[in-house]
Amino acid sequence: MLMAVVFFVSCKKEKVTVVETVTSKTVSSLPADTIVGVSNGQPVGTGKFSFFSIESNSSIASVDSNSKKWDIGLRGTTIITNAGTSGPGSGGAFVYTGTFDELKTISADSTFRTDNAPTSYAIPLGSNKGWYVLDFVTNLLSPIPGRVLVIRTANGKYAKVEILNYYKGGTTPAANATDAEKSSKQRYYTFRFTYQSNGSKSF
Amino acid sequence: MRYSLFIIFLLISTSLTAQVKADSSAFKQLDDVIVTATRSPRLLANVSIPASVISAKTIYQSGSLRLNDILSEQSGIVITDNFGKGIQLQGLSSDYTLILLNGEPLVGRTGGVFDLSRITIRGIKKIEIIKGPSSSLYGSEAMGGVINIITDQSGSRKTDFALRYGSFNTVDASIDIARKIKKTEVQFFSNYNRSQGYSLKPNALQKTVEPFWRSTQQITVSQPLGSKWKFSLLARHNNTFINNTIAVQNGGNTIVSKGFEKSNEYNLNPSLQFKINQKISSSLRGYLTGFKAIQELKIKDAFGSYDDQFSQIYKRIENQTDWQIRDKSSLIIGAGYVSESVESNRYDELSTKRKNAIAYSFFQHEEQLSKNLTFIGGMRYDANKIYASVASPKAAFQYKISDKISFNLSYGKGFKAPDFRQLFLNFTNLAAGSYSVFGTDVARDEIKKMSDANLIDQTTAAFNNVSVLKPEISGGLNAGMKIKTLNGIDVNINFFRNDISNMIVTDVVAYKKSGGQIFSYFNLKNARTQGIEIEAGKRVLNVISLKAGFQYLNTADKEVLKSIKAGTVFERSLETGLASRLKTSEYGGLPNRSKFSANAKATYDNNKGLFTTVRIFYRGRWGTNDLDGNGLINRSDEYAKGNIQVNASLGYKLGERWDVMAGVDNIFNYKDIQNLPGNPGRVGYATLQIHL
Repeated sequence: MLMAVVFFVSCKKEKVTVVETVTSKTVSSLPADTIVGVSNGQPVGTGKFSFFSIESNSSIASVDSNSKKWDIGLRGTTIITNAGTSGPGSGGAFVYTGTFDELKTISADSTFRTDNAPTSYAIPLGSNKGWYVLDFVTNLLSPIPGRVLVIRTANGKYAKVEILNYYKGGTTPAANATDAEKSSKQRYYTFRFTYQSNGSKSF
Repeated sequence: MRYSLFIIFLLISTSLTAQVKADSSAFKQLDDVIVTATRSPRLLANVSIPASVISAKTIYQSGSLRLNDILSEQSGIVITDNFGKGIQLQGLSSDYTLILLNGEPLVGRTGGVFDLSRITIRGIKKIEIIKGPSSSLYGSEAMGGVINIITDQSGSRKTDFALRYGSFNTVDASIDIARKIKKTEVQFFSNYNRSQGYSLKPNALQKTVEPFWRSTQQITVSQPLGSKWKFSLLARHNNTFINNTIAVQNGGNTIVSKGFEKSNEYNLNPSLQFKINQKISSSLRGYLTGFKAIQELKIKDAFGSYDDQFSQIYKRIENQTDWQIRDKSSLIIGAGYVSESVESNRYDELSTKRKNAIAYSFFQHEEQLSKNLTFIGGMRYDANKIYASVASPKAAFQYKISDKISFNLSYGKGFKAPDFRQLFLNFTNLAAGSYSVFGTDVARDEIKKMSDANLIDQTTAAFNNVSVLKPEISGGLNAGMKIKTLNGIDVNINFFRNDISNMIVTDVVAYKKSGGQIFSYFNLKNARTQGIEIEAGKRVLNVISLKAGFQYLNTADKEVLKSIKAGTVFERSLETGLASRLKTSEYGGLPNRSKFSANAKATYDNNKGLFTTVRIFYRGRWGTNDLDGNGLINRSDEYAKGNIQVNASLGYKLGERWDVMAGVDNIFNYKDIQNLPGNPGRVGYATLQIHL
């Protein structure tokens, strides 16, 4: 399951300012509990989170779910952070409205939320509530543009994450694609992130 | 202004007819008489609001069968394809256009859309089109405009048969018989229309358009009672039947259901006209119409069956009195009472009747203020039983600089009453995430019931705002000019702007424990449509008529515009996949609206029975659905492609009794399976008419 094709590229647009050494990285098509079958007429996965370490830019095996090794966990449209009911870390998150590049500093009065499953999550669940919108006509999911997930990692450092696409290969199927195609290609995250390793709230 | 004798609106006096013929305008339309604009017959050239008339001859020469066919060929009108063929006028959707038959409203809408293909336009006299709000005369729905179908009541003796055969085994047959027996005029009309439908996708389980048939029977009677009274009656019955085969994918399985959809509609319209003296006349009109639609689907191998029933009855009584106060001053006053009811299993048990009643009155004063300037002012008040009452004023000016140039300016209020669906709908979709939609009148009770049964997770802030819906309101400004150029070209230019407030949209009021959302209706949205429409026409050698039309349309959701200006709306680039702030110039406005549309028509008619037409239609790209997650039309891939379609026809009169004609619509076979399922591609047909 977790043998994900994970690779990264350096962002060419990074400005050459002396104090900032952080660069943004892109993760492509990270599977997040992809569809394995049908239950009660609904496509389902195995129900396991796909864990990812922002600090090390790598996937973490699910046996380490109860550790501080991972920073975010992905399962379908649910994104968890390593704190609260989700993990033993000092994680947390909130959703910032604005562009990825604009977010240069996390403002001091920002409140990081933690997961309190199943009633609430740091990154709210549901269409048009957190990071995505689901079109009920085409049954396709799009990340809402201008939403940045501000993440506190398991070790209490900061990162910003922008989800770019939810489908395999980073391309959303056509509106008139078959249900089978829409189903088999979904739950693959393409996202970019910037991690600030020095513990400051600036990127 | 020389409006001719003030007359009862269905009796067009010979003096008016004579006057019409004397004026030899290049724009044939301008000679026509229009009733709908002022509720009294007027020369089209003297009407101060945007209006047009489509004659029976134009309809015949265009080979049009149904109301949507001919309306789709008019400037500034787009036919949409959702819940049937709907009209879009000045950028307002089908919900906001009133469809009249001889001045009486036709009912029976699905999802707010009046399906124009229900209406045959054989056996009618003309179609009148008013653009911009006319609620001051017609009340609810007359917001974007009014379409009035005038059936033939000329009383001339005729026995006509028409038969047409075309692609997809489409058959259209009509009988039209008119007799004058002493002073009684009787007309009988019958139409039958059928088609085997078509498939745009080969080998699909389900046809794009399933086989259907439709039929219409109509009788009109007109009987003078002495010299001052006249009785007339229209009775009409309309049937439609559509086969249904629906294939749905569910978890990898294809579920095929078979069944039908049918509708049954009747109209009964007796009226009594009384000419008190040369100056005052009055009419009393009764109207009863019913529309019943049934859809039944039997689902193969499980889940039982689907049964949808909707039945609406509309009754109205109305008096209108016309008073020619002086030569240049006239007054119309009227009042009426409407009682309507709906029974539907979309709302309730079928036995529960949902009712509304409206009492209304209106007046309109027309005054020629000077030799060049005419003013019309009017107002209507609708007192409603189940939603807020509305006052709809309107004022219009016409200023004639000369015979060649005139200016028109009008401003009016329009409204659309909340419909039964928005008040009483009680719908739960079990298939798609188990969401529910409740009308505002039932939402609280239904959610309370579910809450008592421990099915509700939480209610939202919007839940507290569920209240009596207000009518949707518009203010419409139209400013235009009519010019006859020296070289014989008639040009009409009209600028329009409609500001719509209190638009009714759905919002989430609660979440179910199962995760499903519950929606209800709110007066939330404000939108605007604005643009310019230009039409030009010229006649050459009295045998060729050339016409061209163009519309520029700009629409917007005002709240969205505010958010864009506030910088809180973003888009995702198609090329880079990255998000950026949306600019106002990138916002594509309301979906399904084309910024540009245009048409050009050429007709040759030797006035001895030979004619040919070529008509070209352009519709610019229009927004379809959001793909980048901001809920708006902004990116190039969120539009359907603009397209050009060409229609042509050729006809010949074989002696006194026979007419033959043939035509091809969509000659270059333009198709767009995804966005234009109602367009079958190229279609050919041939028609034979016999006059006995």
